Amino acid sequence: MSTFPQLKTGAVAQYPASRGLRFQNQVLRFLDGAEQRYRDSAGPLHAWEIQLAALDESEIAALEQFVLDTQGAFGSFTFTDPWDGKTYTNCSLATDEISLTSVKETDGKTSLKIIETRG
Amino acid sequence: MLVYPQLSTGTLTQFPARKLRRMRTLINTLSDLTTVKLADLHGATTEWRLEYAGLSNEEASALQAFFSSTEGSLNTFTFLDPMANLLSWTDRLDNQVWTTGSFLTLTGGVADPIGGANGWHISNAGAGPQSITQTLSVPGDYVYCVSVYVRASQGATVTVLLASKRGDRVATGRWQRISFSALGDSGAESVAFGLEVPAGASLDIFGLQAEAQPAASAYKSAKTGGVFENAYFRDDQLSFTATGVNRHAVTVNIAHANG
Repeated sequence: MSTFPQLKTGAVAQYPASRGLRFQNQVLRFLDGAEQRYRDSAGPLHAWEIQLAALDESEIAALEQFVLDTQGAFGSFTFTDPWDGKTYTNCSLATDEISLTSVKETDGKTSLKIIETRG
Repeated sequence: MLVYPQLSTGTLTQFPARKLRRMRTLINTLSDLTTVKLADLHGATTEWRLEYAGLSNEEASALQAFFSSTEGSLNTFTFLDPMANLLSWTDRLDNQVWTTGSFLTLTGGVADPIGGANGWHISNAGAGPQSITQTLSVPGDYVYCVSVYVRASQGATVTVLLASKRGDRVATGRWQRISFSALGDSGAESVAFGLEVPAGASLDIFGLQAEAQPAASAYKSAKTGGVFENAYFRDDQLSFTATGVNRHAVTVNIAHANG
């Protein structure tokens, strides 16, 4: 399985960075007002938003190639959470798109959203 | 063939330039968030947004004439991605896209100058020079730049190949990036890019790159290359703004669909 590419500095993210997690629960409400709650999934799924700037052409090209290799949201890869160093083995890109901008020489920017997946 | 024109400087675009890669994946998300995915390889598209400023009268006229010749979005053309390495499989010199002289021996896994192991040791056991080239369906009337990292422990003079043009460069015992820029062969519809190794020489090489511009940018490892045949103008309208005497600005949107 492939791994999310590192920048030349060894980092995978820059500031500002954000992460979140999502549960999937169900709530049944009965006629008497009582509620029954239950988990509808095996556990939380994590998500990260990676915004990258001041990238050189090699780093931009590596990220573009990574998106091509994973075929956008289709492929899975391993991602190490830059917040705590924990490794998530079943991650995908959240969308099929990557926008790459060359602002000037050795100054490119892009952003990616990564989600932990199940299945 | 219709080919998107270079500016008088030999470049294809100016900063800022934007590229949007869009794949297509069908995703069925189940109630427990399990996903079932299907990739649609033919659904991929690429778009470029090229913002030009300070174009001369001639450059603006050439761009306008080209837009007229394609009748807007109607006719397709070949577009050389200005943000890409035109060559493909640049870290895999044993791939079939490369034409390698029969007396050349290639060994991969050599530590490269940017911290990876994508360099190649190349040696020529023949009595004459041998080359490794990749031929692309690109116009001969363009300015190109070929660049490559080379290292030869015994020292060697290698020749960078660009169509029929040749640039001799000296390789020393440490990694250095050499480049050669030239016009291709006028009227040709394909150009061979590569490197020629003299008889009996051996050297390490890494990062072969070809670009449709006069000078090299940072090395971009590539599998698919940057030649897009059947690209088209996304819009049927192209608006030029005269910002001064002999100065024009225009934004061009180009698209390509894998189909």
